[in-house]
Amino acid sequence: MDLLNTFLIGITAGTIYGLMAISMVLVWRSTRVVNFAQAGMALLSTYFGYEAVSRLGTFWIALPVAMIGGALVAALVEMILIRLLVKHSTSGPIAGVAPIIATLGLLGVIRSVSAMIWGGQDLRINGPVSNDGFTINGTTLVFSPLKLLILVTVLVLMLILSIVFQKTNIGLALRASAHAPEIARLSGIKVDWVRTLGWALSGAAGAVAGMFQTVNGNGTLSPDSIEFSLLLVSGFIAAVIGGLDSLIGAVIGGLVLGLMISFVLMYVSSGLFFIAPFVILLTVLFIRPQGLFGAKAARRA
Amino acid sequence: MHKKQSRDIFLFILGGVVLYFLSGMVDELRVYQGATIAVYVIAISSIILLTGYSGQVSLGHGALMAVGAYAAAVARVEFNVPIILCFVVAVLAAAIGGALLGAAAARLSGPYLAGTTLALAIGLPSLANQFSVLGGEQGLLFDVGFPPLSLGEDFTQYKWFFWIAGLAALLSMWAIKNILGSRYGRTWRAIRGNEVAAQLSGINIARSKILAFTVSAGIAGLAGALLSMTIGTVSPSAFPLALSFSLLTGAVLSGLTTLGGAMIGAVVLVAIPEIADVVAHRLGSSERVTTNLPGFLVSALLILTVLFVPNGPVEQHRARKAKHLAQKK
Repeated sequence: MDLLNTFLIGITAGTIYGLMAISMVLVWRSTRVVNFAQAGMALLSTYFGYEAVSRLGTFWIALPVAMIGGALVAALVEMILIRLLVKHSTSGPIAGVAPIIATLGLLGVIRSVSAMIWGGQDLRINGPVSNDGFTINGTTLVFSPLKLLILVTVLVLMLILSIVFQKTNIGLALRASAHAPEIARLSGIKVDWVRTLGWALSGAAGAVAGMFQTVNGNGTLSPDSIEFSLLLVSGFIAAVIGGLDSLIGAVIGGLVLGLMISFVLMYVSSGLFFIAPFVILLTVLFIRPQGLFGAKAARRA
Repeated sequence: MHKKQSRDIFLFILGGVVLYFLSGMVDELRVYQGATIAVYVIAISSIILLTGYSGQVSLGHGALMAVGAYAAAVARVEFNVPIILCFVVAVLAAAIGGALLGAAAARLSGPYLAGTTLALAIGLPSLANQFSVLGGEQGLLFDVGFPPLSLGEDFTQYKWFFWIAGLAALLSMWAIKNILGSRYGRTWRAIRGNEVAAQLSGINIARSKILAFTVSAGIAGLAGALLSMTIGTVSPSAFPLALSFSLLTGAVLSGLTTLGGAMIGAVVLVAIPEIADVVAHRLGSSERVTTNLPGFLVSALLILTVLFVPNGPVEQHRARKAKHLAQKK
């Protein structure tokens, strides 16, 4: 029974990390920036969701509100910060690290502004269904209707995203701008706007990850909550395990990470909560520095 | 070359003398802040060495500082090692940690490295709770003892901290300056400039990168031990992720390639909470704004610097002067 519980908890957490990783991958593919502020943006969107829940009462309206809010924030960030960054910091020793530093700065700004507006205390978001475990043959599982719902919703969202990417013109434009911006521009694609769109999609995905991470945890939201530190690290690690460039890789990276953390906490020690992801990341990078699904770097010399 | 070296030595001695007289003139709080500035100067220069010269990013220097601080405290509490040796232990322990991290880092680049060190910065301090010898959440006491009586009756504890930290800062700046001017410094710059070209010139990339990480970590470890000296204890909460971010901010503000600029970054980092306090009082704002204003200012400053003075104020000024001269001719 423990084994099944651990597995199901890991899968649920893993899909959330996978969603966060997808949002990192979307940004990486559209602008070649690893957005360390992604968890901060997810936090802000979750606050939007909190406002919607407390005014309207239902989680199902709050989720789209959070997604739209997240998409708008991400689009604004791309249009203001990232475009300026690309224009200004292209030379000198800073060039390689400028995007990393700028998005870290953004993370700090978002975190402190959220704390100024909503305060440091825990705010409560109630999930749409109960988080009490299912009971089978008299034993209660940790797996609950809420976790099932999260699993299904995230899988549906991933399906929609992959259909958009593979089957629509917008998806084609997104892929073209990522792979060959110059050629895409020559074929009449407005690359700048496609990039903004990539960021907006990523913001919406991050918002869902933030909302679910909150209700899947203890249901409380605060700027310094453990849930968001975990989201910050896990989203990145899942994306890197998957190879940063691949959406499927991000999902699998998230699942691998979620399962491994869950098993380590259950069978090794619960004190390894934060160090386990680090060890997993190092192990993967030692074996395959480009991630599981990343293309091998081109031969250079 | 020789002349330049003697000029540098003179400048360092002059700096020491100025600090000595300054510490006698200002009040206790300023002396304490002076000690903090000295600690930040050391920590920031370790980042400058790593990021500015060898081109590797680390968001985990807060964790390496924690390694140094814990090593010093354990040496002090468990083995009663003399205080000066505690600092040596701190440097060595952090350098070993840095070498291990560097071995992993040499295979990674850019965002991969940044993310790995970020995971370390979040993960490592929490590991302290796993071992009882490290004192858990409360941490360990780290007491460097009272100033020697020969310095006089009214020689305060803070002034003693300031002297130790100031001396350590001067010595480590001098050491770093020499390392950067040596073959190793040039090797690192070559790697940062063009890895492939450096490799073709016979530089062992991986070994140089690991060396840079090791040296930088050792310096960060010293800074960590000094930081916990000024606080009096070593605990996980003294080395949050925010510390790693502030150090990076300080290094960017200083200009990633100007070692002398470390002073600018350190002063700004110490001054920001004070400025934020004054601003918040003027505006009569609520408590939640007051507590979060310093963090906001640090982050906003980081973004603005990257956007508008990407290579630091000193470098910017130099570039403008060079351009001006070129136009004159």
